[in-house]
Amino acid sequence: MTGFVGPIETPEDLSKVREIGLSKLLNRPRIAVGLSTCGIAVGGERLFARLKEIISSGGYNIALVRVGCIGFCKEEPIVNITIPGKPLVILHQVSENDAEAIVNAVLKGGVPDEKVLCKVSSWDHITRTIIYGTGFEQIPDYHDIPFFSRQTKVILRDAGFINPEDIDEYIAVGGYQAFVSAVSSRTPEEVIDIVKQSDLRGRGGAGFPAGLKWEITREAKGHLKYIVCNADEGDPGAYMNRNEMESDPHMLIEGLLIGAYAIGTSDALIYIRAEYPLAIERLRKAIDQAREYGLVGENILGTGFSCDIQLATGAGAFVCGESTALAASIEGKTGRPRPRPPRLTDKGIWGRPTDLNNVETFCNVPVILTRGAEWYRGIGAKGNTGTKVFSLVGKVENVGMVEVPLGTTLDTIVSEIGNGGAGGKSVKAVQTGGPSGGCIPARLFDTPVDFEHLNEAGSMMGSGGIVVMDEDTNMVDIARYFINFATSESCGKCVPCREGLKHTLLILNKVMAGKGTAADLEMLESLSDTIQATSLCGLGQTAPNPVLTTLKYFREEYEALISEGT
Amino acid sequence: MTEGPKMVTVTINKSQYRAEEGETMLSVAMRNGIDIPHLCYEESLDPYGACRLCMVDHVTCGKRTMMTACTMRAKEGLEIMTDTPEIVKYRSTLFELYLSQAPKSDVIKKMAARYGVTKTRFLKKIVHDDPLGGKCILCGLCVRVCDEIMGGSAIGFINRGPSTVVNTPFFDENPACLGCGTCAKVCPTHAIEIEDQGDTRVMKSWSGTRIKLQECPDCGQYFVPKAMLEEIQSIPDPGIIDELKTLCPACRAKEIAKSVFKSTFQGSVYHG
Ligand SMILES: Cc1cc2nc3c(=O)[nH]c(=O)nc-3n(C[C@H](O)[C@H](O)[C@H](O)COP(=O)(O)O)c2cc1C
Ligand code: SF4
Ligand code: SF4
Ligand code: FES
Repeated sequence: MTGFVGPIETPEDLSKVREIGLSKLLNRPRIAVGLSTCGIAVGGERLFARLKEIISSGGYNIALVRVGCIGFCKEEPIVNITIPGKPLVILHQVSENDAEAIVNAVLKGGVPDEKVLCKVSSWDHITRTIIYGTGFEQIPDYHDIPFFSRQTKVILRDAGFINPEDIDEYIAVGGYQAFVSAVSSRTPEEVIDIVKQSDLRGRGGAGFPAGLKWEITREAKGHLKYIVCNADEGDPGAYMNRNEMESDPHMLIEGLLIGAYAIGTSDALIYIRAEYPLAIERLRKAIDQAREYGLVGENILGTGFSCDIQLATGAGAFVCGESTALAASIEGKTGRPRPRPPRLTDKGIWGRPTDLNNVETFCNVPVILTRGAEWYRGIGAKGNTGTKVFSLVGKVENVGMVEVPLGTTLDTIVSEIGNGGAGGKSVKAVQTGGPSGGCIPARLFDTPVDFEHLNEAGSMMGSGGIVVMDEDTNMVDIARYFINFATSESCGKCVPCREGLKHTLLILNKVMAGKGTAADLEMLESLSDTIQATSLCGLGQTAPNPVLTTLKYFREEYEALISEGT
Repeated sequence: MTEGPKMVTVTINKSQYRAEEGETMLSVAMRNGIDIPHLCYEESLDPYGACRLCMVDHVTCGKRTMMTACTMRAKEGLEIMTDTPEIVKYRSTLFELYLSQAPKSDVIKKMAARYGVTKTRFLKKIVHDDPLGGKCILCGLCVRVCDEIMGGSAIGFINRGPSTVVNTPFFDENPACLGCGTCAKVCPTHAIEIEDQGDTRVMKSWSGTRIKLQECPDCGQYFVPKAMLEEIQSIPDPGIIDELKTLCPACRAKEIAKSVFKSTFQGSVYHG
């Protein structure tokens, strides 16, 4: 699959691979099928097989590859076509019945007009701009599509364009350059400093400054350390991390390697849930290819720095995303949180200082190193720099993966990018931050999406799920849905979470059945308060948010259910 | 001269106390007669922080944060308050939750009453044929001593969330159980039932696991699980001379007394 023999030893070697990769992207007609989980779910594999059959039986000179997800999940299967010298053209809602027409058009140097969504003449991969070509004047530009035009792609810059199973293509768009120049020409302290300067905050939910966490781990006592990527992603409705790994696994690996170099360890781990088989497969392939190229392993680029990356699969319990539970799970114990301090950075896996970051946190790093901290700080808002990927799901017209600068308003995301409620219904609220987040009513949609403003509204950033609810949704039922999730996902260790959530659920059931009383609402409030204040870990501490926010913003719905019942 | 532990001064409810640096604040409070309710703390194990009853207010620069006293380590100048209105409020709700979870536990009822909680607003949990008699509050102490101190790992948590229970794997009799009864000794709510029937010890709460007992060659009493005795005997130097190893504690004490007596009176035993 890869086109270069032997380890990469010098920056010149990297350039050679880049040329090989670029030729794969540009030098001959190419059909790329979006085959992340979303594309596969709507028949992408059948389409791919059909295309393959046609191309090979005809012996045509057309490259056929799998790519990741460009984010417009609603329009999948998405196919893009490159003809040398012409813009890349994105086709949408393609089925296997269209395969013949696609191949015929490509053979004639064109595209099947009825399936065209838009074209891309050049694409800024941030680390390297690719110019595809000119022509196809009648096709709308990528930036003319509202779903795309309001987004800023930094993390998802390669998603849907490059083949995630081919390291050459990642290198073609500038990949591994940041890592190679970091290990060969920067000290770990310099790397940490750049990340600190960028003000990058962890994308796993709490928003802790990433550079600072790296520094604390670097300075922790003990020379054996771990760097761990949290790819557990248990929030219902959230699939950003899955998509990032499926679409561009090398981006994560590069960020992780840079982190390992910065904190001073050769032991890196990715903790990923077993329910993500495709992401696991692509990560495995990516690690193997990086090893083949000498970017993972012993004495990388002859610098004396070594780093190996291992995958640990978890059985997919939501609580295993919590840092101390995750460490227990890696050690082979039941994933139950323990009290902090000690923090992982002091005493993590097997008692060693451990840095734990989210997938997307690592994905930000290569770009920050390439473009510089100042450039990065220019995106987003002060104290909330950079972009964030959200999965926009629920009762919204344009379901998909959305990347916007932090500080973008909910309205921009839901109304402009999401195009409002599905089927023209009006949107009532959104839930951000998964089960630990809260429901924000439509009248507060001018809220900027950043860590602080979401907290002020009673919700959370979480890992970036945005679930849209429309006029038909009963908000008490929504609260019940999330409490049901949190109750069954509670590890059972501490009483407020285990017992408190159970009783919260019982009361919500009673209210939904029309048997609630005013005293029940009071009880819901005081119980939620106790659970938040006294639970051992973040799961319990945040689980009551859906109840508290729906009580705050949609109290009349609770009251309606109560008065109906009496 | 050996260096002793570093002593520090901490403040609890506005009074100052001396403490060893790194000691848990719960133990400092207990030693000084300050009452902080707790259910999952055991000195010989690492702090676990599960029962959440020992929450106190940690005061720093006028700001207060709630923390569990059992996981909080003494250091110079540390200040806590144990009965602020907030703490009392949260603690009461926790007690209500305990009363509903373990409605049969007199220990919990008494403890809750001591803190002014006599009723619960929550539905009481009723499980028919509960091997722990409606008394278990899942503090985890039994599981932890079995694993960390006895090395048995005979019991563990099953399920999660509100369906969590403690028992043997698959609710089967478990030969890994030594029958030592340490679990029952540490259980704060006396939930674990053990019964000796002749030469057999039945761990009634642990899926009826049966363990053979050793008979005392002197008095004929069954006094210790065979497996445990074997384990003790396999230790190279258990500190007991061979002849005494198999005796029950009462007979062993008698024999030791006799031999001490003998050696003191150089053989001239006086039978009185
Ligand atoms: C119940 C619970 C579940 C969590 N799940 C995840 C998760 O799936 N992925 C993740 O990155 N962080 C998750 N977190 C947050 C992590 O514990 C941790 O803060 C994060 O991985 C740190 O990385 P960051 O600093 O890059 O955000 C979870 C936290 C809690 C309390
Ligand atoms: S808050 Fe919930 S998940 Fe966290 S330790 Fe307590 S019971 Fe377990
Ligand atoms: S049986 Fe006793 S010691 Fe074991 S978890 Fe239940 S209450 Fe705690
Ligand atoms: S004794 Fe502190 S939480 Fe149980």
